[in-house]
Amino acid sequence: METFINPKSLFHLLLLPCLLLYSSIAYNSSPVEAAMHTNNWAVLVCTSRFWFNYRHMANTLSLYRTVKRLGIPDERIILMLADDMACNTRNKYPAQVFNNENHRLNLYGDNVEVDYRGYEVTVENFLRVLTGRHETAVPRSKRLLSDEGSHILLYMTGHGGDEFLKFQDSEELQSHDLADAVKQMKEKHRFKELLIMVDTCQAATLFNQLQSPGVLAIGSSMKGENSYSHHLDSDVGVSVVDRFTYYTLAFFERLNIYDNASLSSLFSSYNPSLLMSTAYYRKDLYKRRLEEVPVTNFFGSVMETIHTDAAYKALSRRNSGRFEDEMSLDQSVHHIKRRMLIKVNDGDEIHDINPELLQGEEGASKCPWSTFRKKFQKAENVDSLLNYGLVAMIPLLVISTWLVQ
Amino acid sequence: MEKLKKKIGSFSFWNWVIASIIFRLILIYFPKNLNLSSRPEVSTPLTSFRRLAEGYWLKQSSMSSYAGSMYHGSPLLLSLLGPLTVKRIEGQPNHLLYSLVSVIADVVSAMLIRATGQNLRLAYLRSLESLDLVKQIDVSEFLFSGDIAALIYLCNPFTIVACVGLSTSPIENMAVILCLYGACSRLIPLAAFGWVIATHLSLYPAILIIPVIFLLGCGPDSPPRKLFLQRHQQKEVLNQLKLPPGFSWGPIIHFAFWAFLWSVYVLVLCGISLKQFGGLWEMFKSTYGFILTVEDLSPNIGVLWYFFAEVFEFFRNFFLIVFHVNILFMILPLSIRLRHRPCYLAFVYVAICSMLKSYPSVGDSALYLGLLGWFVNELADMQFSLFLFCGYVGVSLLSPVMHNLWIWRGTGNANFYFTTAMVYACLQIVLVVEGVSAVLNHDRKLRILITGKP
Repeated sequence: METFINPKSLFHLLLLPCLLLYSSIAYNSSPVEAAMHTNNWAVLVCTSRFWFNYRHMANTLSLYRTVKRLGIPDERIILMLADDMACNTRNKYPAQVFNNENHRLNLYGDNVEVDYRGYEVTVENFLRVLTGRHETAVPRSKRLLSDEGSHILLYMTGHGGDEFLKFQDSEELQSHDLADAVKQMKEKHRFKELLIMVDTCQAATLFNQLQSPGVLAIGSSMKGENSYSHHLDSDVGVSVVDRFTYYTLAFFERLNIYDNASLSSLFSSYNPSLLMSTAYYRKDLYKRRLEEVPVTNFFGSVMETIHTDAAYKALSRRNSGRFEDEMSLDQSVHHIKRRMLIKVNDGDEIHDINPELLQGEEGASKCPWSTFRKKFQKAENVDSLLNYGLVAMIPLLVISTWLVQ
Repeated sequence: MEKLKKKIGSFSFWNWVIASIIFRLILIYFPKNLNLSSRPEVSTPLTSFRRLAEGYWLKQSSMSSYAGSMYHGSPLLLSLLGPLTVKRIEGQPNHLLYSLVSVIADVVSAMLIRATGQNLRLAYLRSLESLDLVKQIDVSEFLFSGDIAALIYLCNPFTIVACVGLSTSPIENMAVILCLYGACSRLIPLAAFGWVIATHLSLYPAILIIPVIFLLGCGPDSPPRKLFLQRHQQKEVLNQLKLPPGFSWGPIIHFAFWAFLWSVYVLVLCGISLKQFGGLWEMFKSTYGFILTVEDLSPNIGVLWYFFAEVFEFFRNFFLIVFHVNILFMILPLSIRLRHRPCYLAFVYVAICSMLKSYPSVGDSALYLGLLGWFVNELADMQFSLFLFCGYVGVSLLSPVMHNLWIWRGTGNANFYFTTAMVYACLQIVLVVEGVSAVLNHDRKLRILITGKP
C-alpha cells in the first residue's frame, strides 16, 4: 500500500505548483470576489392568507417544488406560507394544491416543509430571517444560515403596491425596509449574490431603494401596472396561478438540473403581451453579465460528484468549498482543467493522510509524537487503551503484592 | 472435640455462604429484580444502575458521560461495567450479567472479611497471651469473628437488597474491605490499591487513611499499649519479645509511595478517557463536586435532602460546610481515643460516613454491619443491642411504607418519610455510641484484670 501511494503523491506534488500557477491566473481573470460560491439558499415568501388568495400559495409552492427539483435541499429553503389553503374547508380537494386547472401536479405533496406558517408570516419574522437577528430559542430550521459564499433566491408574492408589499392583510413591508435589510445582509456578508423575484402588482417599485452590490431583482410589473392571474380553475373555484409565475414555471419545466440556461434567457422569455404587464429587472447592482450566469446558480444547487480512491476524510469547510466551487468558477475555465484542479484537491487529501499511514516518513516536519497522538485521538484507540489499562491493573496488583511479600 | 466443633462450624459456614448465593440468584430471576432498583433506599444518584447505563450510552454516543447530570461515578466503572448494561442474553433476566458481578463482588468481600476477621482474632489471642490473661479469660468461648462477620455481611437483608437492586455499592464495599484486608495483612500495595479505588469511587473512604496508617504502623487491634507496659512492670521481666512493637514509619512510607503510584495510574486512565470532554477537572466537578455540593435533592434514607430542600440560597454554602465538617471533626477525637484499635476505628468511621454522607443507601449500612461482626467478642456486653436490632427491622419495614404513602397514595407527605430517615439516623448514632463505649468498657475490664484496680 505504501509503495502504491508514493509515486502518485509525487506526481501530485509536481502537478501542484503548475496548477496553482494556472488557477491563480484563472482567478485573476474573473471579477475580484473575496469568497467563492459555496451554497445556495432560497427564501420563498407568500404574504397572503384567505381562500381567495389561493394563487399566491400555489405560486410559492410551485417555486418551492422547482427549486427542490433543481437541487436545493429543504434545510436550505425557508418557506413562509399562510398554509391555510390545502386543508381549508372550502377546498374541494383536501390536502391538495394545484397550479393548473388540469390538476396534473399536486404541489402539496408528501414532503413540503413549511418553516413559517400561519400567523408567523409577519414582516418582523421576515426581516429577522433576512438579517439573521433571531431570539435565542429560534430553531436552526427557521434561520437563514447563509454566509459569504451563498447565492440566495428571494421570491415574494402576494398583494403589493407602489413601494410596499402587504403582509397577511394587516402589515406592510416597504421598499426601504427591504433595502435596509439587504444592506444589513451585505454588511454582515450573508450573501454573495442575491436574486429577488417579486410577483405582485407594481412589483418593480419594491426594489427601487436597493443599493447593495451583488443584488439582481426582477418584478412582474412596473409602477402603475397590475399583475394578473393566469387562469381560473372552475373546479376549485379560484384562480390557481399568476401569469408571471406561470411563465417562469413554464421556463423551468423545460429544464433539468444539468442545463446551462442562463438568466438572460429566463428574463427574455417573459413576453409582455402574454403577461399583460412588463416584467422589469434591475441589473445595475449586479456586475456579472446575465448571459454567463446559469439559472441554476440561484434556482438550483448543482453539485458534481467526484469519485476518490482514498478513504473519505471529513473535509474542512475550506476543502469542501473547493469541490462545490467547480461549478461556479468562471465559465472561461476549461472543463478538463477543472477536472485537474479536482485531482489536485484529491492529491491534497491523500497528501494529508500520508503522514498518518507512513508514520512520519513523508514530511520531515511531522515528528513521530504527533503521528502517535493523531492515532491516539481516534475513539476506538482510546477505548481499547482504557480497557487494556483497566485489565492490566489486576496483574500489576497481584505481582506487586507478591513481590513485596 | 474442638476440632469437631471447628469442623461443624466451618461446614455450616460454607453452607450459609452457598445458601445466600442461591437466595440472591433466586431473587435475581424474579421479574424486574423486584423493582428494587427504583427504591430510593437502594439506588441513589451515586449508585444507581440506571444512571450508569445512561452514562455508558452517552459515552457511546461520543458525548461526555457527565452530560445532563445523570451519571456521577467514575469513568473507569463506565468502561468496566458499561458493556454489561447493554448485553442481553435470550431468555434470561435483563441485567443478569451485572447482577452476577454484584454477587461475585459480595462473595469476594465476604471472603476478605473472613480472612481479616481471622487475622484480628489471632492478633487478639496473641495480645492476650502476651498479657498473660489467657487463663483468666475463657478463650474457648471466643466466637470465630471472621466467620460471623462474613456471614453477617452475606446474609444481611441490606446487602442482598443492594446486590439484587443493581447498585454499585457491592463494588464500593469490596474496595473498602480490600483496603482494610491489605492493611491488616500488611500487604501494602493491596491496601494502597483498595484505598485509592475506594476514594475514587466515592469520596468518603478517604478518611480511612487514618485507620490504615495505624494498622500499618502498629498492627491489628490490640489492648492499649500501656496495659502491656503495666503488665511487664508487674512481672518485672522486660521481655521485649512479648511487647508489641511501637509505631514504625517504614510501612507508612511504603504505603504513601504505593498510594501515589496507584492514584497516578487511576488519574491517568481517567484523564485518557475524558480527554475531549473537559478532562479531569470535569470529572472532579461531576463526582466529588456533586457529592460535596449535594445538588440532587431526591429523597433517600439520609438526612441531608430534607434540610437542603428548604435552606435559603444565602445559607446553603454555610450549611454544606457544617454538614461535612460534622464528619470531619469527629475524626480526630476518635482517632486519639481508639488508636490502639484501628480496625474498630475504621468501623466507626464507616458507620459515621454511612450516616452523614450526602446520599446514603442501604449498601453503606450493609458494609458497617458486616464490619460489626469482627468485634462480636469485644462488643459482647453492648447495651441496647435488642433495641437496635428491632429498630433496624422496624425502619427497614416502615421506610418503604412511608415512601409509598407519600409518593404513590398521596395520603402522607415528606415528613412521614423523613421521620423514618431520622429514626434510622438516631439508631445509627446509638449503635456507634454504644459500640464505642462497649469497646472502651472491654479495655477497662482488661485493665482491671491486669492491675486489679478499677
